[in-house]
Amino acid sequence: MTSLVSAHNVSKFYGSTRAVDDVSFEIAKGKITGLIGPNGAGKTTLLKAVLGLTDCQGSLSVLGLDPFRQRKELMQNICFIADVAVLPRWIRVTQLLDFIEAVHPHFSRSKAEELLAKTKIKPDSKVRELSKGMVTQFHLSIITAIDAKLLILDEPTLGLDIIFRKEFYGNLLNDYFDGERTILITTHQVEEIENLLTDLMFINDGKIVLNASMEDLPARYVELLATGEEADAARQFKPIHEREVFGKQVLMFEDVSRDRLEGMGEVRTPGVADLFVAKIKGAAA
Amino acid sequence: MIQSQFALIRRELWEHRAIYVMPLVIALLVSLMAITGQVAVSGFDHAVDMGILGATNLGDNERSAAMTVLMISLSSTFVFAMWILIAFYALDALYAERKDRSILFWRSIPLTDFETVLSKLITALLVIPLITFAIIMATHLIVLLITSMWLGARGANTWYLIWTAAPFFDNWTATLTFLMALSLWLSPFVGWFLFVSAFTKRSPLLIASLPIAILPLLEKIIFKTHVFAEAFFVRSVKMPLFAGLDNLELLFQEGEDFKMMGDSSLSLLGLLDLGRFFSSLGLWSGIVVCSLFVTAAIYVRRYRDDS
Repeated sequence: MTSLVSAHNVSKFYGSTRAVDDVSFEIAKGKITGLIGPNGAGKTTLLKAVLGLTDCQGSLSVLGLDPFRQRKELMQNICFIADVAVLPRWIRVTQLLDFIEAVHPHFSRSKAEELLAKTKIKPDSKVRELSKGMVTQFHLSIITAIDAKLLILDEPTLGLDIIFRKEFYGNLLNDYFDGERTILITTHQVEEIENLLTDLMFINDGKIVLNASMEDLPARYVELLATGEEADAARQFKPIHEREVFGKQVLMFEDVSRDRLEGMGEVRTPGVADLFVAKIKGAAA
Repeated sequence: MIQSQFALIRRELWEHRAIYVMPLVIALLVSLMAITGQVAVSGFDHAVDMGILGATNLGDNERSAAMTVLMISLSSTFVFAMWILIAFYALDALYAERKDRSILFWRSIPLTDFETVLSKLITALLVIPLITFAIIMATHLIVLLITSMWLGARGANTWYLIWTAAPFFDNWTATLTFLMALSLWLSPFVGWFLFVSAFTKRSPLLIASLPIAILPLLEKIIFKTHVFAEAFFVRSVKMPLFAGLDNLELLFQEGEDFKMMGDSSLSLLGLLDLGRFFSSLGLWSGIVVCSLFVTAAIYVRRYRDDS
């Protein structure tokens, strides 16, 4: 399988702070990868390096290009929506379409107009007249109309209400994703994207603490709901995290076979959010 | 590259509508002033009629010179306003996109930082002067039309008094040359403004003006020299474009045996000396300074990572 993003020993310093610390990973074509991490974990820095917005140490190749040095070529095949990359407020919808049509070789204006026709966005509106949700809809319509190989989403739905968030991911899957395109996404609202991910990466303190495909998760991680004595027995398998829910202990195990936990309580596959907490807290402990 | 420059410059005109709104407002005010002025003097019938008679009896050269003075006085308002516009535009050009946080969006589009900054430099040094020039020409025509209607109503031969007298070609060619030369001559300031607008976190106007005010002062206090003061002063008023003149102040000096006062025809083009302009060290050193600042602005936009 071809790698669209290939990172080997990538680091990024801000002064003496290591924002990204010797990170290596691959992202294959056609995957939807979630990059999850607490605030200040280095997510945005890593995405910036992938987008060529910041230089970094180590070897980083995106679509076979050096992102920082070949940013223009790269941007013909990458799109991104970031909470911090807001659309200019003074521009009109049609003006922005005119502009992108003139400078982007892979933009289909008719497709963008088709998508916009399904929304309440008027072509002669200025961006400042649109609600935050509509601006994100507009941005997604533009990006869906660009025939890009890689889409990077950095907290794309921050500050949106639940209806817009659901619609955003719905449109992303229906209009944008076709199995050929690749998406790298970061968000705090893990539960909302859990079902659309094919791959998962956790980042903490600039290091990747988990990198797995969603299919592999049930085989690698297991959660046990147990009462006092059962929990004591299960602790011999060294849980990576424990919490208490309604008087029961919830223990999470990594690389422990389900068979060995049978009979000690209820065994299930952990949700991404719980797994995230376990891995990040585990790392901190 | 050329297509994207057009798109980028069009984008600048969408964002900075003052580029054409401001000269249009001035054109409107100037035209209104022409109308009110004529209404105001209409009360003095006798004096006006005498004036028309006097003008009709002037020689061709004098009538042409009178029209030249009228046209220059109209143009000068625009030139002054244009430079205020250029300064504010350049100070805002790379600052606004950071302030409204749209810079990352613009950088997500396949354009290099060089292309983007270049489009802003072209807008400041070429597009704004050209738009101003077009509006100056239109204003000349409108004011002359208003004047001719007013004089015509009083029985004057306006074709003779105005339309055959106004040296349009000479005036407009010289104005355009002057505007373009001024762009090149003042380009180091524009480069500096673009650079400040690329790096400053706040108040670009203040940050840009401080060194211009403080450097000559510091130099005078510490070194007792005035290299900076002279450089800024020469740059501001002594453009080596005028034949036989060191600066524009001479135009206003009295008692000189000046071309404008004689019988020979007054040609603005004849006053310009492009050879002298293009061979002046000041011009080329200014262009080099401008290029350095613009390169620095591109570098800052590309490498700075504070979003």
